[in-house]
Amino acid sequence: MNDNLTAAAPGAAARPAARGPRVLGGGAARAQYVEDLLGDPFADGNPHGQRALLAADERREAPAATEELLGRFGLAAEFVPRPLGGRLAGVEELAQVLRPVFRRDVALGFGAGMTALFAASVVWAAGDGRQRRDTARRLLDGGRITILHREFVHANAILRGEYSARPAPGGGYVVDGRKEVVINADRADAFVAYVRTAPGDGPDSHSVFLLETGRLPAHAVHRLPRARTHGMRGAHYAGLDLQQCPVPAGALVGKPGEGIHLSLRTFQVSRALVSGGALVGGMDSALRYAVRALGESRRGLVLGGRRGRVLAGVFADLLACDALAVAGLRLLDLAPEHALVPSAAVKYAVSALLHEDLDELAAVLGARGYDRSPAYGGFQKLVRDLPVAGLGHAGTADTQAVLVPHLRTLAHAARRGESWHEAPAALFTPGVQGGALDFRRLDAEPRDPHHGCDGLLAALLGAAARLDGKRARGRRWAALADLGRAFAAEVHRLVERCVMLAGRPQSMTPSPAAYVLVDRYCLLLAAASCLAVCENAAPGTPDGALLAEPDWALLALTRFGRRLGLEVPEPPDGVAQDLAAGLVDRYRRGRSFDLYGMRLA
Amino acid sequence: MHHGEPTDVREDRATDDIDARDTAGVLAALHRLSALGTVATARGSAVAPPVHIPRPDSSWLRVRDNLLDRGATVAYATWTEWLPAVLTTPRLRPLLARDWNRYERTHDPAVRCRFAASRLLIKYTAAAALGIAPEDIDIAYRLGGRPYLRGLDQVEVGLTHTGELMAVGISRMGRMGLDAERADRRFDLDLMRRGMCTPAEAAELDALPADQRAACLLRLWTLKEAYTKALGQGMRLPFTEFGFGLALGGLRAPDGTAALGDEWAFATYPVLGRYLVSAACHDAGLDPAGDTSVGTMLDRRLLTAMTPPGHDAPAVDI
Repeated sequence: MNDNLTAAAPGAAARPAARGPRVLGGGAARAQYVEDLLGDPFADGNPHGQRALLAADERREAPAATEELLGRFGLAAEFVPRPLGGRLAGVEELAQVLRPVFRRDVALGFGAGMTALFAASVVWAAGDGRQRRDTARRLLDGGRITILHREFVHANAILRGEYSARPAPGGGYVVDGRKEVVINADRADAFVAYVRTAPGDGPDSHSVFLLETGRLPAHAVHRLPRARTHGMRGAHYAGLDLQQCPVPAGALVGKPGEGIHLSLRTFQVSRALVSGGALVGGMDSALRYAVRALGESRRGLVLGGRRGRVLAGVFADLLACDALAVAGLRLLDLAPEHALVPSAAVKYAVSALLHEDLDELAAVLGARGYDRSPAYGGFQKLVRDLPVAGLGHAGTADTQAVLVPHLRTLAHAARRGESWHEAPAALFTPGVQGGALDFRRLDAEPRDPHHGCDGLLAALLGAAARLDGKRARGRRWAALADLGRAFAAEVHRLVERCVMLAGRPQSMTPSPAAYVLVDRYCLLLAAASCLAVCENAAPGTPDGALLAEPDWALLALTRFGRRLGLEVPEPPDGVAQDLAAGLVDRYRRGRSFDLYGMRLA
Repeated sequence: MHHGEPTDVREDRATDDIDARDTAGVLAALHRLSALGTVATARGSAVAPPVHIPRPDSSWLRVRDNLLDRGATVAYATWTEWLPAVLTTPRLRPLLARDWNRYERTHDPAVRCRFAASRLLIKYTAAAALGIAPEDIDIAYRLGGRPYLRGLDQVEVGLTHTGELMAVGISRMGRMGLDAERADRRFDLDLMRRGMCTPAEAAELDALPADQRAACLLRLWTLKEAYTKALGQGMRLPFTEFGFGLALGGLRAPDGTAALGDEWAFATYPVLGRYLVSAACHDAGLDPAGDTSVGTMLDRRLLTAMTPPGHDAPAVDI
């Protein structure tokens, strides 16, 4: 089609094909490959190092050289399912591959990659054969795709604005509307758009369209200028205005009115990847800056001091958040039908915990927290980028919509009085061969394999009970067993309060007490994953040994307990110091601070 | 202590005792230095001037309007003003909720009532901002001590109290910290200067007439307290590692250069004619919705979409 007549993005044909080199191996191997490609972030001459990335951020530009590098690696192939010619199998693996990118630059991870998956996942979940093949080909050939959300409640700038469509007399649709703050709206050749197709507030008010700008008339499509955001500046936020735009009937993804359902299904993947990719990856880097700052202070790396305790605490939180995030990712790979509630809880907990920890790190860094030089500038960039990545309150409200109804499920399960089935141990073994996510199996209905019990809460009860049998191993194990008991009691208390709340007279809006319970519930799930990963860790490797020992779980659960307002004792002497030593050990050996402990460039 | 002090301020106050401070003098000095008022972020969010709420049933309208228009607001009162409410409300126990045990365990009646009054002020202010009942507010604390409203992250809160004054800040833009001091508070100037000031601040102070230094130090102190509380660090971030100008303005590095972009709003105001209140508020840059009410928080379409077929009503009414 003549480029003058269509709304195709400029320069769309010029990008390298994303099929990339034949990178063999699973997620860990490909992640290592990407990490080594990106190179040492603090090497002066590295075009993909902090100096170049910070300069690009200052210019509000995506770092071109690094985007090109990732293009040559074929990052887009990571978002295309294997049956369609890409490399995407499981989302845990995908998160592993993306972590080197997110550790390097959060905005880059979204703009050069993950946003494309958010959009494509709708097509993988509900697209017809042609749409799936076209989207796959577009991504593999280096094209860009992005997502146009519907307007969220309590929307911030990024989530504001939406499009609406009416049927066209001769078939197809006519679409109008405008959004101003959309990643890659200036560069994308295709948009997955949530469009209002029916009035009112019913669940069938929206449908999803795959808008391919090469097939739309240029006069009806206007790309709006770059929007200035405070964080993720290089992520090319821009806008798209559609005016009486004719859209062919074949652009509809799934059935008319299926939009809300599709968002419920695909957001599970987005949330899991934001948590397990962007947030954990970003915090890994933030913690690294703090460790380096301590190492450069006049007294050297003080392990036993107050600041060492702070870092040990943040390290424990990061591992625990990763345990929860990886459990969520593995659940999507192994049993996607059951991931609706857990993925919301993962996003809620990981966002809240890691944002709080970022503050703690800022205090350790002190004046270096404002430094814009390549050595520490990445930290202030993370402080700006991470809230934008997490979408703030509007993102929280979105998860609460899923989690508040779950409280009633808990109440019903309690009333039935059956024993609960624990979530399988396969969720808590990071990096072990998992499944491949079949997007079509994602479900909009909250569902647990055993009809309404909560497998993750049950896992907390089970792990706590088994810890009792490990007291003889030593003082720290006994302390962990005590914590396990306290958390088990808190699970029961939470469920009782759900029962009480469910017994109140019904009303149109949920009681605010429900939000308080959701908050507490998510912390309990973080504790559950932490204990379960500890229990299932194989002590063989140096990093496995750290996970199999109780220190990190002790510190994490103490902190979670304090956050819940429980009376928990101080951990036994030496726990924080020993964990801080473990942190320094990883730092010196150049290993990541997450569950995988992979080698850094 | 000066006697027979005229109420208007003379430019060239002469005094034998350069350490003596009085409220009017401190506030006048800060006024002359253009140190009072509010600094907005580049996006225009700011902390509105504090609003006096002498009783729980006072009008909360200005608090709500400030929150919507400016992004952050402060409500203040004396605990003695709220004392009648503490003593007479039959709902004190459900209102205090988790804080009831601490209230009961406190022996000194004045301390106990002051504590209860401050919790009530927080809950009523937050409830006004969110459109719910004060009993529904659950005050929780981050590990660094920063208070927050469990389950309701559309607003952040800050609190402070000194002497009789209690003040609560609410922001829908990002983290917020508050600090208040009596304007005539006495302190060791040299100790404060050495323990708190950056090199740039010390140099600026030294250039001032001696009788203005105390006022400036007090203001700097409250601003730094407010800022570290907004970060959730309490006293943990060394005050000598960041600074402010002596006139109204933003954050500075120790050498006096501008430290951060335009995403922090600061404010210092006199309150009740005898206290200084400073606020620090972060704008996380998300340009959030003006609507903070809890009633509109959940998307009903999602709730109905999740109801399995065969149910009449969305399974949410909990």
